[in-house]
Amino acid sequence: MDNLELLSEYSLFLREKKEEGKKVVAFISHDNIPEELLDAAGFVPLRLMFAGNDELMDASHDYLSPSTCAFAQSCIGLFSIKPSHYRFLDIIDYFIISNHCVSDICASEIISKYFNIPRLNFYISYTKNDNSGKYFKLELLDFKDQLEKISGIKIKNEDLKESIRNYNNFKKKIFEFSNLNIIGSEKLRVLQRAMLYGPPFLPELESHIQMFKENQVQKTDNLKGILITGGSIFLNDFLIDLIEEAGGNVIFFDTWVGYSYYSQIFEDNIIDSIENPLDLLVNRFKNNIYDDHSVPNFLENKISQIELVYQEYFKKTGRKLGIINHIIKFCDHISLMSSHLKNRLQQKGISVLNLERDYSKANRGQLSTRIEAFLEMM
Amino acid sequence: MSLIADDIVRFSSVLKIAYNLLTGREYLKRKKFREKKKLISVALPFSDLVYGFPDLVPVFPIRTHTFKMHKYLTYLGSASNIFGWKNVANFLGYIKNMGIGDVSKIIDEIIDNVIDTVNDKYNEMYDIGVENGIPTDFCYGIKILYGMHVTKGKNYDANLNYTIRCSAWNKYLESLKTINNSPKQIWIDIPPRNVGNALELLIENIYDGIRELEKVSGNSYDRNILRNHFQVGNEIRKVYKTILYEISTSDFYPCNPATFSEILVILNNSFQDYNSNAIRYRDNMNSLLYEMKERVRKKIGMDVSNMPKILFTPMFGGWEPKTHEIIYELGGRVLYADWDLLLTLEEIPIKTKTDPVEAYASYLMNITTNGIGCDNDKLTDSYLRIAKKLNVDGLIFNQVFGCHSVSNCFTMLKEKIRRELEIPSIALTFNRIGENIEQVKTRLGAFMEMFRSFK
Ligand code: SF4
Ligand code: SF4
Repeated sequence: MDNLELLSEYSLFLREKKEEGKKVVAFISHDNIPEELLDAAGFVPLRLMFAGNDELMDASHDYLSPSTCAFAQSCIGLFSIKPSHYRFLDIIDYFIISNHCVSDICASEIISKYFNIPRLNFYISYTKNDNSGKYFKLELLDFKDQLEKISGIKIKNEDLKESIRNYNNFKKKIFEFSNLNIIGSEKLRVLQRAMLYGPPFLPELESHIQMFKENQVQKTDNLKGILITGGSIFLNDFLIDLIEEAGGNVIFFDTWVGYSYYSQIFEDNIIDSIENPLDLLVNRFKNNIYDDHSVPNFLENKISQIELVYQEYFKKTGRKLGIINHIIKFCDHISLMSSHLKNRLQQKGISVLNLERDYSKANRGQLSTRIEAFLEMM
Repeated sequence: MSLIADDIVRFSSVLKIAYNLLTGREYLKRKKFREKKKLISVALPFSDLVYGFPDLVPVFPIRTHTFKMHKYLTYLGSASNIFGWKNVANFLGYIKNMGIGDVSKIIDEIIDNVIDTVNDKYNEMYDIGVENGIPTDFCYGIKILYGMHVTKGKNYDANLNYTIRCSAWNKYLESLKTINNSPKQIWIDIPPRNVGNALELLIENIYDGIRELEKVSGNSYDRNILRNHFQVGNEIRKVYKTILYEISTSDFYPCNPATFSEILVILNNSFQDYNSNAIRYRDNMNSLLYEMKERVRKKIGMDVSNMPKILFTPMFGGWEPKTHEIIYELGGRVLYADWDLLLTLEEIPIKTKTDPVEAYASYLMNITTNGIGCDNDKLTDSYLRIAKKLNVDGLIFNQVFGCHSVSNCFTMLKEKIRRELEIPSIALTFNRIGENIEQVKTRLGAFMEMFRSFK
């Protein structure tokens, strides 16, 4: 199934949900948005996780300066141009304004204001400690309140726990899937679908696991192992193809669409032992130490995580892993730390390519050349 | 030039503040090595907490730099020790009045030199910031501050960091840790919104910050010292506001409007650390206001009633310092009011709260939620509020390249201005001081045409 087919299927899926009387709540896809609360309140979470192109980026310039991140620009473009395969965006009922970064705030606010989608607020502290955990809980309470007001239904603790359990099982399955020895593009394709649909994708995910287990594709050995960190490879992005065409294979997606999502799992006994389900979400927020939103230890944590994956891969395969730091142009979080991340990892003998790009087509050739040169050097 | 020099020398208080800004390094060296005080780097205009410790000195990083100072300014500094700044200013004013050729020229040079020296230093820091890893895509302010820390960061005993809505800013603060020998980082997290008991959390966060500052200081925090400082800080804010709302909105200025703008720039750039000595700063502010009022009373200055008032904002992330001169030449007057726009000139409410930390927390929360705002809707309201309060005739929005926070609110702002204020506005782009001056002039020329029939 190609991406266009996926989008029309997804559109159908959403329409069915609407017919069941559910409302759709959209948000820009990063970490920390409590999907479980939306689910428990009977809403369908819709992650904006679609890559951009020239047209989408240009369309945002009526609202934001061109020096805004290419992803945020493209999210606005989706609403402003309404490409035919994204018509399902018309049925969004609410939009979450959150502060993963300031471009997230600006883009979400513009989408809500200029495309007439009522907003819901959910903000997060920039630091990560006990007090930011307490603040997270305040936001959860406020968010719960906002959802209850619009749905007219109280969210029961049991229902929220049930949603947490569902999402947890779902993430565990994605985790299992991510460990399969299959080519990166295949892995990403399933990952993207899984995150777009959420737990309703579980049966399909299971059959993917079954299928891949039976015919594990082993032909990746002649490709060079890559860990991709920084910005996600979103749906419709050609980046993964460029990496594979150049002889690389992404074995680890250390991004929002990837490890940052499916690694946030609870042990089953924890779900049972903590009474208030909101505290579970708070714990998850606090444990999410690799989240690029947080300061002041993002860089150190990220380096130690990458180093760990690198060493494990080396132990398992005897081969070195190359790191591609995917910098979506003008991304505050990833771009500002990029030279430091590269220097620090290189001091440890780990090769890093800081790959900065926007979504323009014209960049394709240049990106290819840079990736090829990097893989060559590895 | 120098229309600015021509006026500025007559303000002893401005001369003093400018002198303190440029000779900060010597002053701070004395504090650190002779008086064994600890220097705390601060950058935001609400860093008053440092003043709660007698041996901690807040420093806006540019001040630890050495400036190539005009030798005569050094002489003036020495002369002021003997005669006092007032007499020095009188003397300079006398020379200017008499038009005593060469000497008058030297005075012009000194003042121009103060302004250019600071700007050159900023550009130098920009290059150092980029050379040391800040991608060119980021705003001018972040690049220069990083450059300042690369070059002089080791002089500080700690950095006091506050998280704000700008993600680039927060990441920049974290990135300071990558600089060799970087000082201890002390963080105060300001919750993004005032929901539930967020204010109590902020109070706890401030106390955490205080405990960290205590470790640097070696002394315990003293609430009376902090309370007294807030008293001084509030007096400074009050005078600042009087200058903004009484003097700058009146029809008669105590000097030409370009000089007046320059004074507002000096205030803007010195407010973050009050030149490291809040009492001295307050006294200078008081005498500045007094001098201004006296001049107006004696009708010394300029009738500006026919000059449109243009609000230029924001300037804190970097701006072209020639703007106010250009506008002046085009028949307008420029007002800079960023700090009040963000509500940092509001009182710290020590009259209503006994615990100064609680008062400080309320003050910070008000800035975050109502001034800077956690989203652009609030932030644009702040622009509107200030434009109304200052009753300006036009607004220039400074779109700083690489600023994804403040610069991105222009579309929304423009719409609100059209709807609620009905005044002309334009956006100017800024990347680096001195770049594209001709383009700026052309755009400002076209903008000021709209005020041609201004009466
Ligand atoms: S700046 Fe980075 S973190 Fe923010 S929306 Fe863009 S890609 Fe995401
Ligand atoms: S708000 Fe803009 S100017 Fe200020 S630090 Fe952030 S990016 Fe720079």
